[in-house]
Amino acid sequence: MGWEDKWRPPGGQQPPINIPDIKLPDLPPLNKSTIISALMIAFGIWVLTGIYKVELNERGIVLLFGKYMKVSEPGLNWFVPSPIGDVIKVRVEEIKRVEIGFRSSTRERQPNPNAFLEESLMLTKSVNIVDIDMVVQYQVSDPINYLFKVADDDSRELYDRGLEGTVRSVAESALRESVGRTEIDMLLTTDKGRVQEEVRQLIQKILDKYESGIHVGLVQFQDIHPPQEVREAFKDVNNAEEDKNRLIREAEGYLNSIIPVTRGKVEQILKEAEAYREQKEKRAEGDASRFTQQLEEYRKGKDVTRKRLYLETVEAVLENSKKILVDKQTAEKMMPILSFGQDQALMPPGSAGAPTGAGGVK
Amino acid sequence: MMSEVKNLVFGILLVVALFLAGSSFYVVQEFEQAVVLRFGKFVTAVSEPGLHTKIPIILQVTKYDKRLLDYDITPTEIVTKDKRTLVVDSFSKWKITDPELFYKRVRTEIKARGRIKDIIYSELWQEFGSHTLEEIVSVNRQVFMENVTMRANQKAEQMEMGIAIIDVRIKRADLPEENKNSVFRRMREERKRIASQFRAEGEEEANKIRANADKEKTVMLAEAYKKEQIIRGEADSVAIKIYADAFKKDPEFYEFQRSLEAYRKALTSNNAVILSDRSEFMKYFNASDEKK
Repeated sequence: MGWEDKWRPPGGQQPPINIPDIKLPDLPPLNKSTIISALMIAFGIWVLTGIYKVELNERGIVLLFGKYMKVSEPGLNWFVPSPIGDVIKVRVEEIKRVEIGFRSSTRERQPNPNAFLEESLMLTKSVNIVDIDMVVQYQVSDPINYLFKVADDDSRELYDRGLEGTVRSVAESALRESVGRTEIDMLLTTDKGRVQEEVRQLIQKILDKYESGIHVGLVQFQDIHPPQEVREAFKDVNNAEEDKNRLIREAEGYLNSIIPVTRGKVEQILKEAEAYREQKEKRAEGDASRFTQQLEEYRKGKDVTRKRLYLETVEAVLENSKKILVDKQTAEKMMPILSFGQDQALMPPGSAGAPTGAGGVK
Repeated sequence: MMSEVKNLVFGILLVVALFLAGSSFYVVQEFEQAVVLRFGKFVTAVSEPGLHTKIPIILQVTKYDKRLLDYDITPTEIVTKDKRTLVVDSFSKWKITDPELFYKRVRTEIKARGRIKDIIYSELWQEFGSHTLEEIVSVNRQVFMENVTMRANQKAEQMEMGIAIIDVRIKRADLPEENKNSVFRRMREERKRIASQFRAEGEEEANKIRANADKEKTVMLAEAYKKEQIIRGEADSVAIKIYADAFKKDPEFYEFQRSLEAYRKALTSNNAVILSDRSEFMKYFNASDEKK
């Protein structure tokens, strides 16, 4: 039994064989027919152990004395059992993953930023350092090559072993190669997607060269940021960018407020000018009309009207004024004195008593 | 008695026969290759998988892996052309191509790895030593690795060990811990520069926008002033024409009337007025001797 188990895949589907149960104490020993029938039963059981089940997501790789025979599809199958034949099941549909720079198990809640730094810290172009956590997802595309072409250091036995060591080494190598060609600013901003795809293609190319039978489906940067030691400085650049935008927004706010205000002011100036025009024209028309009408009546009795208007005016002017009556000579002597010290307009005697006709000039 | 002895002899013969039969078969797995030896001396190599026969007892079989084998090389410090130290962690993929040579020269995988390590270290040193750090990191890592692989493989072939070095890849080429700080310092300075550039750009841009706004405002107001003056001028000219048209009907009357109006306005209140007794206004005040 023990030596048979060696080549059996873990968790094999063979029905259990219980040799101790096949003791036949009642039969006489060394009876020929008894021996033959016992051997036949044993053989029958051995043949039955050749039945195996291939799950939906698996393919069975069938070997005869270690030599590859065929691939068996999902379902119940039979092949000559061990030690002559053997079946290795490969989970071709299963998506396997490798994590670089972190491990899911240690990432829960409080990820330790210093974990796996030797994996996640790497040089970029212009000798800067960046911290990248990456996930590689892959699948078995060719189970035969996958089993027979590449060996991982730590697992030489024949079973579906993921080739994790190989994929991990290749992924790290490809990641550093691509990142080394890219500037850190590009990595942190626009080029992340491009580098991811480049890394994926590079990993695929190398694994194809190894004929590993692996298809790399997805390469994703889980986290990409500057190292702890310089993170503050990088944050400040972001702040500076914010500051820049804020300054510009403020200036734009100023622009947006000053233009409408000015437009309002312009409108006001124009409206005032228009109002002035209306006013000026209307007043002129009014004044002109009044003058024309007055003139009409004035012409009818020129002298009388003229005298009346004059007297009315002088009356009105003198009503509220102090009056000093002097004769003409005195008035002429006083004039120079009175001109001083009095800022209010004076009625020079000649003027106030200006004769009719060419009355005082304005 | 006779039958018991016969049975015993038969039994012994059966066991020996089974042993011989077992010893004359061997299985080579799909991923294996085998060398057949006569008491440690090479006889033949078998690479075809499946069940094989051999002369029992006299011939022995040793199996080797036929797959691409992995060898993770311990990280080593390498000095570049510009005298900077890099910690280089590499791995190699190799395979046993000629089991006969392999058996004769190396015999075990562990020994083979020792040889491979020596070869790759020396190739890495040589390749890295002739390039600067910047070149190794950025420019052509692919080419370096291809060169190292090619030359390492050539050496392995020359040594006739029956192995081929298929690939040498640099997994990590990073600065040693003590050199990282200087990189970090440089990165911080670089960031500071970028940050102050951003802020300065922000101010520049903001000032431009403000200046533009102010200019716009001034222009708009000037434009408005211009229009205003045109409108007011038009108004004035229209008014002047209307007045002139009316007043020129009798300029003398206009003058008279306008003067009176001016007196009323100009000489309103609290003026001291010295009246001459000869004035027109006072004509009748002292006119007893004159005609009425």
